[in-house]
Amino acid sequence: MSPTRRELLEAGWKVGGGLLVVAAGWTSFEALKPLADVSGGGLLPLLPADAYPEGSATFVREGRFFVTRAKDELFAVSQKCPHLGCAVPFCEASGHFECPCHGSVYNLGGEWMSGPAPRGMDKHPLQIVDGRVVVNTAVLEQGAPLGTREYDTPSRGGSCAPADEA
Amino acid sequence: MSDRPDSGTTSWRTRLQESAVYRSVVRTPPFDSPRGRAQRAFGNVFLHVYPVRVPRALLRFRSTWRLGFISSVLFAILLITGVYLMFFYTPAVSMAYGDMQLLRSQVGFGQLIRNVHRWGAHLMVLAVVFHLVRVFVDGAYKAPRQFNWVIGVGLLVITLAYSFTGYLLPWDQLAYWAVTVGSDLVQYAPGVGGWLRNFLLGGSTIGQSALLRFYVIHVAVLTAAFFALMAVHLWRLRKDGLAVGDPDVAHDVTTRATEAVRTPVAADAHWLADGRRVLGVVETEDGPGHAREPEHEVFAWPHLLIRHQVVALAVIALVLALGIAFEAPLRELANPNVTPEPSKAPWYFVGLQELLAHFDPLVAGVLAPAVLVGALLLLPYVDRNPSRRPEDRRVALVLFWTIFLALVVLTVIGALFRGPGWGFVLPWEHLYFEP
Repeated sequence: MSPTRRELLEAGWKVGGGLLVVAAGWTSFEALKPLADVSGGGLLPLLPADAYPEGSATFVREGRFFVTRAKDELFAVSQKCPHLGCAVPFCEASGHFECPCHGSVYNLGGEWMSGPAPRGMDKHPLQIVDGRVVVNTAVLEQGAPLGTREYDTPSRGGSCAPADEA
Repeated sequence: MSDRPDSGTTSWRTRLQESAVYRSVVRTPPFDSPRGRAQRAFGNVFLHVYPVRVPRALLRFRSTWRLGFISSVLFAILLITGVYLMFFYTPAVSMAYGDMQLLRSQVGFGQLIRNVHRWGAHLMVLAVVFHLVRVFVDGAYKAPRQFNWVIGVGLLVITLAYSFTGYLLPWDQLAYWAVTVGSDLVQYAPGVGGWLRNFLLGGSTIGQSALLRFYVIHVAVLTAAFFALMAVHLWRLRKDGLAVGDPDVAHDVTTRATEAVRTPVAADAHWLADGRRVLGVVETEDGPGHAREPEHEVFAWPHLLIRHQVVALAVIALVLALGIAFEAPLRELANPNVTPEPSKAPWYFVGLQELLAHFDPLVAGVLAPAVLVGALLLLPYVDRNPSRRPEDRRVALVLFWTIFLALVVLTVIGALFRGPGWGFVLPWEHLYFEP
């Protein structure tokens, strides 16, 4: 039952080699792990709240998000499409966000209207401090699940996608 | 020593070839005879890639369409042009795009080399895929060559990874957004997706660390992996023997009836054309003879070598012509705030993008490619039908062509029929295609 010397040495080699591989893999992994994101974000003070009129979407370059107002509520909608990360522009003609990559469409509140996206657009928390809009870019809240449509604004017609059958 | 008549004025060439130094390098006799050539092919590490003799059937272009060889030639072209480009390229966000412009304006033949690198890469993806198709249709993945098929699938994956990582390096809008879409797909992998994507990119967004990582993977990691797998691929090809000219695929009845042992691997479990399983050893003794008869084989040098040279020259001429005629695209500098309309993946991934427009990203972006690669890897072990004749493989062939055609259709729709917002556009009205 007790192993022979040969078997013991063979097992020792295998265990030792295995440990070496694990150690090499682990250290390589630790070394290559991405560093913590330095652009952690923070509180970003913007214009007074009444500078954002109903139905508008204003792009804030520093934080890559839009400040929108729908049904008299303000939102900080992240520009990044929750589908595959394309930058979603606001289409003035339709009054919606229309993603150029795969055609997802969102309303001014960032809620999903159509297309392949799995949820609504992600948002940053937005507060009004002394009448000014302040957006916390350190926090990104997941967009509303499909089917939530509280902030639909009246359709303006038109679409920014030239081919309309899609 | 030499059997040449000594004319008294031995040429410098003869003296060189008879010198001790020359003989230490080249041990074989002069190769102006078939025997000399065979000996040299056998003793030379580079020519040893070829067997000394190959089946006569291999000389027909349409036996393999030379697709594996064409892939190798394209890889050599990509390696050489790639090294040249490396001298002028800095994998830094602040410099990469400028280096692309310098290639055009300052570097000798810089733009041409970049063009050739680009078209060569596209052609290599095509050649590797068609190689896979050819091997499937010929049933050349069957015993004893199952494992070499698996290696080949690995090489296909490496080829695609090469294309994808290389796509980011010019750091223009095309590169940035195609890679954004491609890497965000990984996010949908259940559990580890987001973490894996960040590990690949070295952060949560595509920036300096992503560019450097893609560069190192492109020039070093994949190249090392490619050479390792390629060595095994060619070694197994030599050890398992060529499927072409192997009696299993020969369609004329007499050759098939004389089927016999090919390699020791296949010898102990071998099927006859009529489905009987026999011990190969016994068959060899009883058989009236087998396909390895002298008249079925020719010397690889010169017969195969000259054909390969012609093909290699044709491939070089083709990529050069493409490089002269068509510029590799370079859009504006990458801008994370503006997604260009439309944003398409490179054409070999555009079928996937088309699939994404119709299905949940987990299904289209993760499961579909994973199932496809998994099915390819398992194919030779799942398909246990020993016959390589098309009449015996109807199900396998129909299934294969169906999937292949579906991929082609998806790719064609995605590449040619899609415009801004992924809307349907007829290509003759406006073509949105970026190679």
